[in-house]
Parts: sequence; C-alpha cells; structure tokens
Amino acid sequence: MSRRSHLLRYFGARLALAPLMLWLIASLVFLLLRVAPGDPIDALLGPKAPAAARAALRHQLGLDQPLLSQYGHFLSQLLHGDLGLSQNSQEPVLGIIRASLPASLELGVVALVLAAVLGLAVGFSGIARPEGKLDLAGRLFGIGTYALPPFWAAMVVQLVFAVWLGWLPVGGRFPPTLLPPEGSGFYLFDSLRAGDGQQFWGALRHLVLPAATLGVLLSGIFTNALRLNLRRALGSDYVEAARSRGLSETRVVLRHALPNALLPVLTITGITVASLIGGALLIEVTYSWPGIAYRLQEAIAQRDYPLVQGIVVIVAALVVLVTVAVDLLVALLDPRIRF
Amino acid sequence: MPRIAGLTDVPGRLSQRGAPRLALVLAALLLLPALTACQPRRPEGVLIVATKSRLDSLDPAAASRVGIMQVLSALGDPLYAISADGRIEPRLATALPRLSADGLKARIPLRPGVLFHDGTPFNAEAMAFSLRRFLAIGTLGFQLSDRVRAVRVSGPLELELELKQPFSPLPRLLSAIFLTPVSPTAYRAYRDKPLADRFVGTGPYQLSFFSPQQQRLSPWPRYWGTRPRNGGLSLVTLSNSTALFGALRSGEVDLLLSSGLEIDHQRALHREAQAGRLREAVGPALEIGFLSLLSDQPPLNSPLLRQAIAHSLDRRTLSQRASLGLRPPLRQLVPPSLPGSLADVWPAYNPQRARQLFRQAGYCSGKRFSLPLTFRSDIPTDRLLALTWQAQLRRDLDDCISLEPTGMESTTAYDQLGKGALVMFFYDWSADYPDAENFLVPLLGCEQSRGNRCLKGNSALSGSFWSAPGLDAQLQQSSQLTGAPRLALLQAIQRRAAAANPYLPVWLTAPVAWARPQLNTPRFDGSGRVLLGDLQRRGARREVQP
Repeated sequence: MSRRSHLLRYFGARLALAPLMLWLIASLVFLLLRVAPGDPIDALLGPKAPAAARAALRHQLGLDQPLLSQYGHFLSQLLHGDLGLSQNSQEPVLGIIRASLPASLELGVVALVLAAVLGLAVGFSGIARPEGKLDLAGRLFGIGTYALPPFWAAMVVQLVFAVWLGWLPVGGRFPPTLLPPEGSGFYLFDSLRAGDGQQFWGALRHLVLPAATLGVLLSGIFTNALRLNLRRALGSDYVEAARSRGLSETRVVLRHALPNALLPVLTITGITVASLIGGALLIEVTYSWPGIAYRLQEAIAQRDYPLVQGIVVIVAALVVLVTVAVDLLVALLDPRIRF
Repeated sequence: MPRIAGLTDVPGRLSQRGAPRLALVLAALLLLPALTACQPRRPEGVLIVATKSRLDSLDPAAASRVGIMQVLSALGDPLYAISADGRIEPRLATALPRLSADGLKARIPLRPGVLFHDGTPFNAEAMAFSLRRFLAIGTLGFQLSDRVRAVRVSGPLELELELKQPFSPLPRLLSAIFLTPVSPTAYRAYRDKPLADRFVGTGPYQLSFFSPQQQRLSPWPRYWGTRPRNGGLSLVTLSNSTALFGALRSGEVDLLLSSGLEIDHQRALHREAQAGRLREAVGPALEIGFLSLLSDQPPLNSPLLRQAIAHSLDRRTLSQRASLGLRPPLRQLVPPSLPGSLADVWPAYNPQRARQLFRQAGYCSGKRFSLPLTFRSDIPTDRLLALTWQAQLRRDLDDCISLEPTGMESTTAYDQLGKGALVMFFYDWSADYPDAENFLVPLLGCEQSRGNRCLKGNSALSGSFWSAPGLDAQLQQSSQLTGAPRLALLQAIQRRAAAANPYLPVWLTAPVAWARPQLNTPRFDGSGRVLLGDLQRRGARREVQP
C-alpha cells in the first residue's frame, strides 16, 4: 500500500472515531452537570422564590423529567443537530455559539500569529551566539512569559495602557458608539468587507490589548520550543554532514536545521490552536471579550445545562478536527512518520 | 557550537540586515499611537453607560436581574412609579386603583394617547395582553400569580384585576418594571414564548440595537411624557470591576452603575467624586446584607445562642473594614426608607452581654463554641466580612466562640441553603418592588410549620427554617390592611423576628451611580434605578426638544 493510501486510511480512522469521542464527551458533560451541586432554578429565580414557582419553572424547563429521559432527549436533539434552548434566555444554543465563537477565534488567530512571530523571532535570535546575552534574554523571555499569571499580566496591561495612558479601550470588542458590522461575526473581516474604515479601526483598537497580551503570553512556548529543537538539530549528524560539505552556516541553519526544528513547533502550534478554540478564559474575562470561554463560564455559573453542553460539544468537535488536521499536516511534512 | 556567520556582523553595530528589522520594529511602535489617535467619533448627544450586567434577553417576562430592570426602565413604563421621596405616582395609569368593597377587585384607569414604539396604541387590551403573558411565561410570574386571579378589560382604557385576597401594596407591586406593557402586535407570535432580542414598549427610549454586551437606545419621538434630555444611550457590559472602574476613569464611558463594582473601586470613585472629579449619586438603599441562622437544628436551635451571636456582631467595625464604610450598619430587616420599617430593633453589639449568654449556654469556661459561617466565595466583600468578623470575635470573645468561615460558590450555596445544610450563611436580598412586605414575607413566610419550626415555605428556602405560631397569619393580614394599622402590624412582626434572631441584619446597600464631570448629577427614582432620560451633558442645549 502506498504512503498516500496509508495516510488516507489513518485520516479516515481518526475521523471515524470522532463521533464516538463526541458522544463520550457529551455524555460526560451531561452527567457531570447534574452531579455537580447547584440548581438552575436557584440561578434563575434566586433562593427565595416560592416552591410552586420553582416547581412550575422546573417543569417548564423539563428538569422534572427522569434523568434518563432528559439524557435521551438531549441525545436525540444532538443527533438532529439541535442543541436546544438556553435555559436562561430561551434563545437557541446554536445561535449563542455562533455569536460567541467568532470572537474567540478572531482573538485566538491574531494572538497566535503574534505569538508565533514574536516567539520564533526571539527563539531564533539567540542562535547567532549560543549562551550569549541575546540567547540568555531569549531564554528568560521564554520562561518569563510562560510563567506569568495571565489574569495578572492582563490586568497590568489593561491598567497601564487603557486606564493610566488611555491609549486603548479598557475592554469590550467594539466601540459602544458604533454598531458592529454584520456578517460572519469576525469583525475585522466583516468591516473590511463592508469597506467601513471606522468600524475596522474600532474593532482593531479593541483587539490590540487582548491579542497582544495573549500573544506575548503564548510566545514563550514557541521561543522555548524553537530554541531547544534548533540547538538539538544544530548538533545532529546531518547538520555536521552539511557543514562538512562546505555549505555556509546560514544555509545550514535555514535549509537543514530550521525545517527539522519547526516540526515539533508545528505540533505545539496545533495543541495551542486546539486550546484557543475553547477561548482564553482569563483574557476574555479581564478584557470583557465576549468569546466562547467567557460565555461558558457564565453558563456554568448560571447552571445553564443546554448552553454548557452545547458549547462543550461544539468546542470538542472543533478540537478533534484541528488535532486530526495537525496530525495529518505533520505526517505529510515528516516522511519519517509511519502509520 | 559555532557562531553563525551572516546573521550578525560586528557586535554593537547594525548589520545591513539589521536595519530593515529595526525599521519594522519602529513601524510597529508607530502603529500604536496611530491606533490610539484613531478613536471613533461619538454620535452627538449619545451617552455611554456601563454596567457589569450582561443582558441575555430584553423580554420583561424573562427579567429577574437588576441589570435588565434598569434597561427596561428606559424602554418601558410601569403603571405606577415610586418617586425619589417614596410617593406612588401614576404613570401609565391615571389614578390609584379603585377597590371594590370586598377589596377583591381593583379597577385601574389607563392613560390615553400613549403609543407603543411600533406606533400601535396602548390601551386596556394591550395591558391585559401583557399581564396575561407575564402570568403565563414570566420568570417572576409568581409575584403576580400569587395575588391576581384574573385580568380583565373593563373598558377601552380601564383594566380590572381580580385579586385572590385583598392586597394593599398593589400599586407598589404594579410599579415593578417587569410588568411594563408590550405591544400585542409586535408580540403576537410570542404570546407564550419569550422574545429576547427585541423590545416594543411605551417608554421614553426605543431599542435600536441589541446584543448581550451592547444595547443602543434612541429617544422615542412620540413619547407621551417628558422626552429624554440626551440624544440616546449606548449601554455596554464590561465583565469585571477593574474594567468598569478604568472605563470611567479614562473617560471611555459617561456613567457607571455600582452593581458589580468591587468595594475598593467604589471607594476610589467616591473619593474622586468628593474631590470634584466625578459626579456621584446615591439611590434609595433597598438591599440588605444579612446572616441566616439555621434555627431548627442544633446548635442554633437554641434562642440563647442566637441572641449571644446577635450581641457579638460589631456591625460598625464590619461596615468600616469590609465595606470601607460604604454600607451603613443595619439592625432591621426592612430598609429605613420604607413605610413600616422599625429602626434598630435587632440586638446591638454588646460583647459583655454576649459573654453572659454564651456562659449561660455552657461556653466560655474552657469550652469554645465553634460556629461555621458560609459566605459566597464569588463575592469579594462577603469574604472580607467573614474574615473581619472572625478577627473581631477573636478580639472580643476568643474564649467563648470561634468563627469558621468557608467560601462556597453562590449558586451552590443557594441550593444548599434550602436543604438546611448551612448552619449560618451571609447573603443579601433586594426586593422586586419597594415595600416592607417584600422584605418580610420572603424571609419569614411559612406555609407549613410546627411550633417554631418552618417545614415548608419561604423561611425554609431562606435557610433559617424558623417560624412562630401565628406569624404567617400576621404576614397575610399585613398585606390586607392599609394605613396606620398595617404599619403597626409590620412593626410587630419585626419585633417578633428580632426577639428570636433567625436572621441578623448586617448592613444596608444603596445603588450608586458615577458620572463624568461633563454630565449633570444623575438622579435615582424610588425603586433604585437611575433616571437615564434625565442625563445630559452640562452646558449643552437640550439635545432633544420635547
């Protein structure tokens, strides 16, 4: 069987497992939510609503049904692509996710690009003089940004650039004086498509602080990964062989060592992307960024069962897809990988 | 490892490749000021109001939180309103309800010439449609269904409510903004289901944009009453206290509401206001912070111990330390501004008396009473209160009592509270409409009791499980009486509760609003909501002429 056929088979097998994985995740979330303490009725009505009102609302939301019946209803809805209605707002869960997910993805993509550019640049810069000042600074940068508590860093950045200096907005995703662009929910893209400069700048100004904070915090992962892998690659036999053939050091690094060092970085990027699909909770909460993680946190606090279940299922599905895609990409790029 | 040629040249000098990199960095640095300079222009006269309350729905039927009530008060009108000095004023009604001889029927005359935001007329049919819809699907529908048996139209502009029993605070109940009418035409398809992202009412503003984080309100040009002084409102949600605080300080928003703002930020803004850099307004204090004592089980089923705890509570210190003096000490369940309240009826701080009582209960002589206190871990002030009280008890009564505070997430705690799992719990209560009854019935009401033990009812849900013979009948009677007899009965009920100490009031919370100095000072109505239509930039001409 050719390598391509092997690859397709591997890809098919991974995708075929996805529904099973999603069913397990959905069932686990369903069960954990009901086992966890707290009652959606308390979250909706407060602790002092009369028993009759509580019972009526419980019936209205279907929470008085036996657990198995609720589970069956949930799975049946899920199979039909229906995630139900939010208990809190009675809005379709799918609609709420459609409104929140683009916010998280927009923030995640921009932050990831920033993180990759900054992290790889810093990681690469130290290679010129190993153990030199630049290398040491890069190492410190990698460890420091990785170790910084995100909420603290975000709050400091917010205080300095938004509150004290007043350069950029404190929070939110869009200027309150403007109406958000209609379309995909990716405001930068939508405003560009609409050709509205004011909307674009408004969206960009709100994106700068959260994306920069998240980007810098994530960049340490890239810095460390590249530094370590590049150093390992530069000490390997094939690099020595390249040097012995009289190739210039720049060519050795850029053509031979760097591509090999970047492969593990690609895997790390995949993991980071997968984690960002679920949103960056602390960044979203600090900057009032209306993303999926912030929404999930609120839904958990309100014990909004359908919304929590819906968000987890959708995010899990996307994570599975991204993970499979990254595995496939790595397999395509690295001929050493066997299936 | 060898040094890589070509990437760097002479140390300390820029290589040829270094120059473009430096230019790139400089360009990136220059982009920041460009971004800061390109701030979108504010539409003329539009004010930005920030709160922590995210709005999932604008349907009055789905309303249950403070944030939506504030927005609804700008978009809708109630039948009656409570003025800043506590008086009841007709709004969409033209007079107070006319009661039948038996007090079971109330006829309410309605205002003519009022239009909904979709241009359809407001009348008795529309009001009846809205109330019936609220009874059918309202989250707080029990507030109405507990009292109203039927809603009828008795004339084109007259509504009749059939009551289950005489209910004297009816106008106050009808001042609740969640009973604001909605257009039957716009809500025809939503008679039995909520409509989250639209609102068609009769208020001074109409909704022009809705998202959970942002709402845009523009003045309704055909409003029947006094038109807003500003050119519109943009309401934004910021998720945390630091962001809210920073947004007002940096001038990003014009008005900030205190709900969700941490206490140290509130104090900082209060000081700014005192220094003249902000305008501050304090609304009517209608929220009480109190301790609920599980009074039907050991150890707190002992009235002696409950009284000892009541005397051990140094409210002044707690108010100063935990609320930074912003929440005044409270020794009554009904806020002082409401008719029927009784000042300082709960036991005062008296450590000597507390020690005596603890001794009588068998403590202090080498035996310490260990008292668990649960507080809401997601509310920073609650944690401060618990820790301060713990320290205060160590200072005053260390040989008699030790407080064991434990944090628990709010929703979990509320669930546990009604199950009798929390020996003592600190939380707060604000009424859905400002009336003494709405503070006493939710805490003391009991459908089924045995002796001093409440088996089923509000008292159990509130975590005290305390009742007293005849107390529920007194509560029922208080909502049927009017005038001085009602006030006397309300005060008698409070005396009974204060003598038993199933709850210990701790402090009183008032809503606060801060505005930028360019705005006039905000004003509150008697229900604790900012009169948003009253806000205006100072020195500006009236932006929307009536």
